[in-house]
Amino acid sequence: MQHYLLLIISAALVSNVVLMRFLGLCSFMGVTTRVDTALGMGASTTFCITISAMIDWGVDRFLLEPYELGYLRTVAFILVIAAAVQFTEAVVRKVSPTMFQLLGIYLPLITTNCAVLGVNLLMVEGRMNFIESTVFALASSLGYSLVMVLFAGLRERIALAQVPRLFAGPPIGFITASLLALAFMGFSGMSTN
Amino acid sequence: MPEFDSTFADAGDHDLIEGFARVVAVEGGRVWLEPEQTASCGTCSSVGLCSIGKDALTASKLAARRFQLPGDLGLRMGERVVVGIRDDALVKGAMTAYGVPLLTLLAGGIAGQELGGGDNMAVLGAVAGLVFGLIVSRLLANSLSARGVLTPRFLRRTFDPPTDADCHMDHG
Repeated sequence: MQHYLLLIISAALVSNVVLMRFLGLCSFMGVTTRVDTALGMGASTTFCITISAMIDWGVDRFLLEPYELGYLRTVAFILVIAAAVQFTEAVVRKVSPTMFQLLGIYLPLITTNCAVLGVNLLMVEGRMNFIESTVFALASSLGYSLVMVLFAGLRERIALAQVPRLFAGPPIGFITASLLALAFMGFSGMSTN
Repeated sequence: MPEFDSTFADAGDHDLIEGFARVVAVEGGRVWLEPEQTASCGTCSSVGLCSIGKDALTASKLAARRFQLPGDLGLRMGERVVVGIRDDALVKGAMTAYGVPLLTLLAGGIAGQELGGGDNMAVLGAVAGLVFGLIVSRLLANSLSARGVLTPRFLRRTFDPPTDADCHMDHG
């Protein structure tokens, strides 16, 4: 149990996928102008990362490793991620068409989110078993969602603040992101993976 | 004070997430609306090259997001309106669609590993948990839809300038 707890803290906070590994920066800057869009994007990404990590674990363990096809890993994982996004879109549409109108808009963005591929490749590098992989993927994506919502909240407040003209817009966004990254460095030393 | 004929009875209790939509059909007093083309990201100069820009511009994708508004609102074809949902609807929707299946997936995987002790049983448990979670999610979504939590509501008409209006370019 302690092992899983450390894995969750490590993946979500200490080695945060956005602020420490610098993955998913496009959506981090692009979708964080409002808290509700950040929340929708975070939830959709969490689901897709976890599902694709599960499938990619199986692909790697039963296909790529036994047949020594490691050089196809990136290509195979991209294919799995695209399929997982399509699967999620179909599932959400089937579960509730009204929910699809609400959440479906974020799904195409996930296909091109490098955080999804990055988490899957890190999972393979860590040589984890199935449950460890799933927990790692879930915790990493929860860390991604947490940072997205935090940053969106900060940007909503910055939008109402009087920012010097030269810093207005993306510059103050990058400065805020760097301060957030410094804050997250406070977690380092709690756990390592 | 402008006329405000929103269908939100309790709009004052919550913040609303607003969006624009256009009336595409009127059938027996009920209106069908299509949300305006939007992209989930803020888009950048490479929007034409990535899937996001293309997706936002696809008419079939917009048609798939058509929705109906309850009640006779007296709207006309082509009219542009502001619609909204309560801000907590997004959280409830996300938790129902994604949170429940993920929790059951993880619970199933852990149960499989504890019972069987191997990866194969963990995979089977996770898949079974996911399927169970999706069924529960569907039931919850039906319940939310029946209560109208996820349904966008009409907020107000937007002002469309007359087509013959002059555009004064002589300022400054």
